[in-house]
Amino acid sequence: MPRCGFLLLLFVFFSPMARAQGNYEIQVYGSETVPPANLMVELHSNFTVEGERETIDGVYPTNHQLHETLELTGGINDWSELGFYIFTSAQDGHGLQWVGDHIRPRIRVPESWGWPVGVSLSMEFGYQRALYSLDTWTWEIRPIIDKAVGRWYFAVNPAFERTVHGPDVNQGWAFAPSAKISYDFTAVVSGGIEYYGDYGALSNFVPVHNQQQQVFLVTDLNVSPVWEINIGVGVGATAATDHFIIKCILGRRFDFGRHSPVD
Amino acid sequence: MVSRREVLKLSGATAISASLGAIAQDIAPADYELDIAAVTLDVAPRRQVKTTGYNGQAPGPLLHLKEGRTVTIAVTNHTDHPEVVHWHGLFLPPAVDGALEEGTPPIAPGTSARYTFTPAPAGFRWYHSHVMAMGDLTRGLYSGQHGPLMIEPRNNPGLYDQEFFLALQDWDGYLSASEDGAMNPSYRVSTINGKALGSGEPLRVKQGARVLLHVVNTSPTEPHWVALAGHELAVLALDGNPVPRPQRVRMLRLAPAERVCAAVEMNNPGIWILGEVRRHVQAAGMGLVVEYGGQHGAPRWQQPADLSWNYEQFATAVPIEAAATPAIAVPLVFESRFRGHGAMEAWTINGKSYPDTSAAPLVSGQRYRLLFINKSRDDHPLHLHRHSFELRSFGKSLDGSGTARVNNVGGIIKDVVLVDAQTQAEVEFVADHPGATLFHCHQQSHMDQGFMLLFTYA
Repeated sequence: MPRCGFLLLLFVFFSPMARAQGNYEIQVYGSETVPPANLMVELHSNFTVEGERETIDGVYPTNHQLHETLELTGGINDWSELGFYIFTSAQDGHGLQWVGDHIRPRIRVPESWGWPVGVSLSMEFGYQRALYSLDTWTWEIRPIIDKAVGRWYFAVNPAFERTVHGPDVNQGWAFAPSAKISYDFTAVVSGGIEYYGDYGALSNFVPVHNQQQQVFLVTDLNVSPVWEINIGVGVGATAATDHFIIKCILGRRFDFGRHSPVD
Repeated sequence: MVSRREVLKLSGATAISASLGAIAQDIAPADYELDIAAVTLDVAPRRQVKTTGYNGQAPGPLLHLKEGRTVTIAVTNHTDHPEVVHWHGLFLPPAVDGALEEGTPPIAPGTSARYTFTPAPAGFRWYHSHVMAMGDLTRGLYSGQHGPLMIEPRNNPGLYDQEFFLALQDWDGYLSASEDGAMNPSYRVSTINGKALGSGEPLRVKQGARVLLHVVNTSPTEPHWVALAGHELAVLALDGNPVPRPQRVRMLRLAPAERVCAAVEMNNPGIWILGEVRRHVQAAGMGLVVEYGGQHGAPRWQQPADLSWNYEQFATAVPIEAAATPAIAVPLVFESRFRGHGAMEAWTINGKSYPDTSAAPLVSGQRYRLLFINKSRDDHPLHLHRHSFELRSFGKSLDGSGTARVNNVGGIIKDVVLVDAQTQAEVEFVADHPGATLFHCHQQSHMDQGFMLLFTYA
């Protein structure tokens, strides 16, 4: 097989998997940012019940990997925040491993502008070890649009990703949208569906068979304004997607601001 | 079940028939005229608010009426939606009180109405739109349709050198998610008399003068704390009614629709700010400059460290004796109903929302004790139309931890009382103005979402 053909096959087969940072943080973003002088601490726990079973090109298989991601997000002002991620992975035979770190600044359209939908823009940049992703440095631009109407909530994240260092560095921007629709059954319990896709390079979407297509059934438990709880089970619909994942996000917001009744 | 729309139709029809008897009065010229029309307020040099006002201004003109002297006020509605004017704090018949739910006819777009009534009781009242705004944060109390109304007593001692009328208002509202999990109004601009701090004419005072401030909170939903830097405020009246124990205070707190009359001894020459105590509200514009004659320089503000206010400081010092005729207790339980994180909450009184709310008919001459049991997480400024009530007890926690913070007080006569979240307050009134009587939370968003009850007389 010609060398370029082999590389193309490698790209087509693995690039969605390689780009899928989502298995460390599986979340559709809302437009709201963390308030100033607040720190949001989130633990993302994702267990791949059924995933890739083979070590391919030195990348560990995802099957039965437990990904624990610590996300720390500090509010800067009423319209911006800065997030930091520590990705880890635990797996039989490999133990607990550090995977990588990302940094994520985000800005939003202030609510007081009165836009009919919530809008924010996230930029995520970071490193992950080649044992877990051939593309070690990646950059993501994620527009976020959301809207709550009565008991319904809608969010769309048409994200664009590119590799800064790794096999896909020449691929350019790839399209990895996600979306969510949920319904408030009560003030505390919401339930809905989250969708995560990765279509490959914008200039040349990969065949459906090799796209990443995941759908999660999720519930959000709004037990308190300072707690965030999101639990879901997801299935992958294509060969390039992990087939069955369980996810949980547990978040707690800490307010370090000095609040006076006369502020 | 009767729908809300049907209730409005029925009440409107009743009022129209009642108003036919007043046709003869329509021939006489009106004492005052109010035109309801769009207005653009220049709240600051580069900040305008487009709203609806009275006579091309917001707040509307000061109406000085004489207690007991019949007056006719002609109101023309130049907008494209029905309107009605409520004469807040007066003992008026339902047909002219200005609440559609009681039977006051709406003023259709492009038409006029005449309100003929005999003003009482004396004191500082106000007038305002009383239509539902629902999701439109430009209508009703969200608009500039409000104005001061002074009912002069037959004998006014006039123990002051100057008097000023101040309206606190929040503008340019939008719905935002709040920590209670529902949508609530927030505001971009706050003003006193339609001007942001530093944008309007200062209050010019003379050293040694005794100034009387008549302050009304016209805000659709927000309570406000105001202070005059460098001065104390001697509270003389609440909701236009003299208090038994006038007190000097550092600041006033006014829930929506509340009024405070306070005297100030101008004994600290300088240029001062009278403004909202909370920084973010003053930054949004709620303040004005008070300028002593002959003084120059930048206005000065002295930031209080906390918020302070209570009703009981103005009440009679000793417990009053029980009324000869025991009051009939009327428990009213206030709760909210979740309708989604993307919606405002619905409100219930005794488990039902208006127009399904109900209470036993009042008997004329009977004394009633309203038990305001606020099980919600919001504070509520509660208003009873066409009557005044006396505060008797408030601050009783509903968590079962104890008795009322203040119990068995007397002498404070009001028509609006702020009942804190998760507490119980009690007021008494005598049912002495027969006719449909509306009771509601004065937060526009709450009354829009069902927080109303119509008392009827037997």
